[in-house]
Amino acid sequence: MRTRIKEFRTKHHLTQEKLAQMVGVRRETIIFLEQGKYNPSLKLAYNVARALKTNIEELFVFDG
Amino acid sequence: MKTKRAFLAVYITALVLTIILISLRAYYVLVAIIAGTLLIGYRELWSLIRLRRLPPVDERVMENTSKSIRNGFIFFAITSVFLMLLFSINVTLNPDTIHFIGGLFISAGAIYALSYLFYDRAEPRLGERGLRMLKMFLMVAGISVAVFILSAFLHNIVSGLVGTEEPVFFIMATILAPLAFTVGIIGSLVIFVKGLFSRV
Repeated sequence: MRTRIKEFRTKHHLTQEKLAQMVGVRRETIIFLEQGKYNPSLKLAYNVARALKTNIEELFVFDG
Repeated sequence: MKTKRAFLAVYITALVLTIILISLRAYYVLVAIIAGTLLIGYRELWSLIRLRRLPPVDERVMENTSKSIRNGFIFFAITSVFLMLLFSINVTLNPDTIHFIGGLFISAGAIYALSYLFYDRAEPRLGERGLRMLKMFLMVAGISVAVFILSAFLHNIVSGLVGTEEPVFFIMATILAPLAFTVGIIGSLVIFVKGLFSRV
């Protein structure tokens, strides 16, 4: 799974720490999400998408 | 809220244990408990000092905690079996041996706890190449321990059978295995610490 979290986060001028605070997770979790090393729950994926003012389909790209 | 409860539960339990252990005069265990508690809650304590609030226990941390409990159990089960084996052959009757083995297990436990606690921070910073290197060095260290035990065992058997001192396994156990172990440990430590302090 590929994610576009970093791209959207940079667009909204958010730091990893700030985004982590907005969705109620640790900064490490955002790092793992950005690198595609962690599959989030639907709730977390939705919260991240909402914080970045987009939707889940835009944020998470399934390669197959 | 959940973090605060978990944090309070850990520290209250540690406090009760401290009082009990002081009354039992078990100071070594007490030091281990205090060190362990500080290690478990280092992130929470640091956040409280720096930001005056606790970091959240998110879903990934919850998953890691269950893995940590499982790995910790396996580690201490293996250690216990090994210690019981030593007791069964009376090796630990010598006080020097007891201190040596105790020190070895405390160091191994401390390295295990530290690496597990900081791995979460180091892993995303290491990258695929770094992780491969770390795995390779750790394997070198692990294999060298196995080689040491096997060589010592084979050296004694072969020497007993032949009647003279066997040189190949002796060199492997006394020079090659410790050398490989040192290389493995130093290499993995360098990569781990480098990953810990590099930026993402």
